[in-house]
Amino acid sequence: MTGLSIDQSRCQGHARCYMLAPDTFLIDEEGYGHVIEGREGAYQEEHVRKAVRNCPERSIKVIAPGPAA
Amino acid sequence: MSEPQPVVDFDFHGKALDTIFDDYQLMLESKPVGHSSKYGGFWYITKSEDIFQAEQDPDTWSVAPGMMMPPMGTEMPLIPIDIDPPEHGLFRKLLLPMFTPMEIKKLEPGMHATAQELAEQVRTAFATDPVVDVSTRFARPYPTIIFSRLAGYPEDDWPMFDRWIDEIIYDRTKSPEKAQAAGDELIAYVTRLVDHGRAGNAQGGIMGALLQKTVNGRPLTDEELLSYGYLLFLAGLDTTAWALRSSLWYLARNQEAQRLLRAEPERIPDAVEEFLRTLSPVQAMARTAKRDTVVRGQKIKAGERVALVFGAGNRDPEIYENPDDIDVTRENNRHLAFGGGIHRCLGSNLGRKELVIALTHFLATVADFEPAAEEPWHGVGSLRLRLSGGE
Repeated sequence: MTGLSIDQSRCQGHARCYMLAPDTFLIDEEGYGHVIEGREGAYQEEHVRKAVRNCPERSIKVIAPGPAA
Repeated sequence: MSEPQPVVDFDFHGKALDTIFDDYQLMLESKPVGHSSKYGGFWYITKSEDIFQAEQDPDTWSVAPGMMMPPMGTEMPLIPIDIDPPEHGLFRKLLLPMFTPMEIKKLEPGMHATAQELAEQVRTAFATDPVVDVSTRFARPYPTIIFSRLAGYPEDDWPMFDRWIDEIIYDRTKSPEKAQAAGDELIAYVTRLVDHGRAGNAQGGIMGALLQKTVNGRPLTDEELLSYGYLLFLAGLDTTAWALRSSLWYLARNQEAQRLLRAEPERIPDAVEEFLRTLSPVQAMARTAKRDTVVRGQKIKAGERVALVFGAGNRDPEIYENPDDIDVTRENNRHLAFGGGIHRCLGSNLGRKELVIALTHFLATVADFEPAAEEPWHGVGSLRLRLSGGE
């Protein structure tokens, strides 16, 4: 599976992803982050990259497709 | 040329903060894990990666008997910061939904109104006084008002709060007795709030909500409510006041940054992250080793105390380019100001939003300002400013 995902075992609800890229991430009622359905492929957009880099728990995973794909 | 002296008896409170960034440079360079005899003796951990790993590993690093070093006016373990898994998760879960960005958004109209009102008072004060203390007039009252509304602490009681904060937090290293006495007053105060709510009186805010909550199928005990109430008070008031004061302290001394943020207020959120990285109110938090372990080659024995020095990790040259430069346009800023892992600061969304809104109104309302006195970057003491270009 390529694209963006959040490792739920690491997310602590800082909500940096949501604040920096609200079109790509949401926060559930308990306070944890998720990738909005359909936005898994947005990892090259600048503001999404910024969100990934600023996650304090390093919980946002990006799996890019291989060069041959 | 003489060798730089190693840092002896590292401390991260009071006067030691004057020169702490020099200490950090030396520690990061030559002794990233070391020992201090302060506060009963502790190991300090300064590298960003080591701090991150320790925070992810509650099996090795306990928060008992307390995360605060030295303790803050009470020996009572504070919920949830001074308790370990598995109990920790149960108690934290009650609070987390109250601090999501969606919940904090509900407070935003009040934040805007209060920030604007206080900023206008500062502007008015400058009309008659060449020098205005913006700590007393802006940085301190703003978070006290916002937080008390959120917590459900009655408005009439707010004037007492800042004195308790001063005595519990800032006097504790010089006078633990004074801190203890103020802590007792705060405990009595929160006890009255809990009793008032238990007697069937409507209670607003977080304390009101907690009165209705259950854990493991039972209501919270008085002791648990008291512990929550005590911690929320300590966590929510002075940290934000400090962060706001230190941001204004910096902007007064750096006209270029001040001009940039006035011209492009959309940069304020990134600037806030940079102020949190470099001038944070929480320079370190404590842990206790649960078993013998090794950090960067240093053996640490079970039962020994450590300080995770967030302020040093935030200036780790392995993580940040020009780590001691305060660059309000820095975008790559995964700092440790709020900690990480299961004990990360629950109020981070609140604190960040408060800071962004406060700085936005202050800069939009108060004309160009500069320092009127030599004052330290840290703490919640006075911050005397004057308007630029006066004489």
